[in-house]
Amino acid sequence: MEFITKKPPIKSNQQRSYKRSLNLHISLIIISLAAILTRAFIAVPEGEVWLPDAMFKTFLMLLTGAFISVLIELLYSIGEGKSHEFSNYKRLVDPINTGLIIALLLPTSTPIYVLLLAVIIGVYAGKIVFGGNGYYIFNPALVGVLFVNLSFANQITYGETPLVLLKNALAGQTYTLKLLDLFVGNYAAIAIGSTSVILLVVIFAYLLVTRVIDLRISGTFILTILIVSAGIGFVNFGTASGLMWQYVLVNMITGLTMFAAVFLVSESVSSPTSRETKMIYAVVVAILTMTVRTLGAEIEGIVFAILFGNMITPFLNRTVKRSNKKIFIRTSIILLVVVIFTGFALGFIVQSRLQEIFSAAVIGGLF
Amino acid sequence: MITDNRQYLEPKKVYIPLTDKTSKIANLKVAAQDNVLTGQIIAEKFNGKIKTPVISTISGTVIGFEERLDRFGKIIDHAIIENDFKDRSIELKPLEDEVAPAMIRNRLTECGIDQLTVDGIYTDIDFSRPVKHIIINAIYTNEPFISKDYEFIKKHAEEIADGITLLGIASHAETMTLIVDKFMDEETVDNLGKATVDKGIEVVIINSKKVQAWDYKIAKKLVNETLSNNLLDNQIIYTSVFAAKVTHDAVRLGIPLTKRQIAITGDAYKVNTLYEVRIGTPLSEISEELGGYDETSDLNIHVGSFLTGYQLESDEFSITASVDSINVSSLRIEKEEVCIKCGDCNDICPAGILPQNIMDAELRNVNSRIVDLNTHECVECGLCTYVCPSKINVLEWVRRAKRRVG
Ligand code: SF4
Ligand code: SF4
Repeated sequence: MEFITKKPPIKSNQQRSYKRSLNLHISLIIISLAAILTRAFIAVPEGEVWLPDAMFKTFLMLLTGAFISVLIELLYSIGEGKSHEFSNYKRLVDPINTGLIIALLLPTSTPIYVLLLAVIIGVYAGKIVFGGNGYYIFNPALVGVLFVNLSFANQITYGETPLVLLKNALAGQTYTLKLLDLFVGNYAAIAIGSTSVILLVVIFAYLLVTRVIDLRISGTFILTILIVSAGIGFVNFGTASGLMWQYVLVNMITGLTMFAAVFLVSESVSSPTSRETKMIYAVVVAILTMTVRTLGAEIEGIVFAILFGNMITPFLNRTVKRSNKKIFIRTSIILLVVVIFTGFALGFIVQSRLQEIFSAAVIGGLF
Repeated sequence: MITDNRQYLEPKKVYIPLTDKTSKIANLKVAAQDNVLTGQIIAEKFNGKIKTPVISTISGTVIGFEERLDRFGKIIDHAIIENDFKDRSIELKPLEDEVAPAMIRNRLTECGIDQLTVDGIYTDIDFSRPVKHIIINAIYTNEPFISKDYEFIKKHAEEIADGITLLGIASHAETMTLIVDKFMDEETVDNLGKATVDKGIEVVIINSKKVQAWDYKIAKKLVNETLSNNLLDNQIIYTSVFAAKVTHDAVRLGIPLTKRQIAITGDAYKVNTLYEVRIGTPLSEISEELGGYDETSDLNIHVGSFLTGYQLESDEFSITASVDSINVSSLRIEKEEVCIKCGDCNDICPAGILPQNIMDAELRNVNSRIVDLNTHECVECGLCTYVCPSKINVLEWVRRAKRRVG
């Protein structure tokens, strides 16, 4: 009797890539629903937008994002003669994920045609051109979002988000924020996905357990944001007034920090593959995010930061040699020093800028 | 699930392979039609350095020599011996109490104890090179599929402990380590604990549910240097409790190694059993005893550990001392997906190298990068393939990379 052979090892564990994207899929759907619901209680300026409108618009954006993304991949695969794959829901999971993330990264007020462009650029130029899922270098969703952020800056508007208030606070303005509102997501959001941080934390935990995201990326990312913002806060406000902790808190729980930690930085295909490089990557992304937030013209720096991180990923992947305890400890210590240093450095840079503004104002007043 | 305990000790004929994985040349000591006794030397195999005898496992008549498939999937010479069912054995004097190292070594050679465990990083029992450490694994088969049947250890704990000590004396080893499982039942651990106390054997408990090449890590900690593909290079002998037990039998009782306990499992059989078989019996005969295979789907034979074992195209190979488990099941091939660069393979690698990056370098054909990544340190443990969520055979890529630069 003949037996079939196959190259060993023949057994493997229970982890499957497909299960991971499915878990991500479920999480994204939950976040989308939550985002629609939070629109119900975000205060809108009088007479501007009717409440159900905001909810419906959000829903429409998410639906369009997912639908267009699937459509583009389907059209492309018809060209390739692989369209039969799409009869299986399995094949739809990944395009829907990309479409949803793009929609979640734009504010509710975005015109639909801008969203359309973002999805087309993201899915085609960001993913299909590189060979589809698994082969791209840049996170496809972010490619699309960056494109429209740059080209349609005027159409993408948002109100006084907490980060805007903060940026002004660094320049001396005052603001009021209610802590509870911040936690449940009741504030003018920079993007649909920037909803309740509590929900995001729950999903974070779920995805960590199912191993969709890697603690060494997301954890390092969050920790770095924490340390850097604490540094900036300390230099600018001191520990006495409590403003420092507010600054840290707003940076942590509003904006896209948590959303990025859950859905963006840990995206496995465009992030490095070994323990040490993952940490370096996360630190680079977090520091860049904070730099843009404090010094740049933009309010939210995460999109740029992650794309930059993606860019250095191949370099990181092709320079590491091995991974062991000694290297791990050394990398951790170096990174910690760099992070603390950056926190203080950014804080001081912001301050000297303040002095410039101050002296400019004085001189302007004199003449 | 193993539900049965059986014996198959009196085959009509046995087929004894004359060479093995390391010893590739053999000199015959008997001719066709000679009568032989159980334990009698029928040939000497040679690995380039030392000669090891090949012994007959039954008494009877040598009826010829034949080229057959062995358990590694190679075609090699076998001696065929017909059983006379009298079990007349050679006489070996039991050695009591203190035994000189050289005497133990001679006795082990005489009894055909050299290659008992071959999966993964197990080594031969080879005293021709200096040895500093002995590691014995009490966990029945290799990671990640662990038998829960520890009857053998429970019954023979004393003999096993004595066997470990004898191996230690024979090799002048500095340390002796016994690896046991956290999930072993209390009685087994108790018996082993009682038996090993005061013998200078260190017992290390591992958690077999977490698959992560524990043996490799234990060995690495002992020598504190980069491990070679063959632990003998690092002055380690690493073998199983079965080897310790037969060492005891050979030295203390003068019994040559002619029987082996193996686990025969898989969904192709009606029952899964722990079999005590005569070494040299072909698997086909045992399968017949078990009522044949369920042939409704394509079958696959796997000898040894699931991660590092061998697969064969035929069940005509004879069971040797180095076979500890055989699995015959229907073949399930999972579809390979694209690498999602999750890095799970890089995290698990016990050698601390980066299989995903090696795979990438191999795909891009960059030799210098393959060398840079220390590809030669891979011990082919198979864990990278085991953890991959995309079901990529990562190890195969690492092997290819190794071949390219090596
Ligand atoms: S590369 Fe794979 S097979 Fe080789 S040592 Fe690492 S995990 Fe084991
Ligand atoms: S475990 Fe598999 S999918 Fe993950 S990085 Fe390694 S080869 Fe790629």
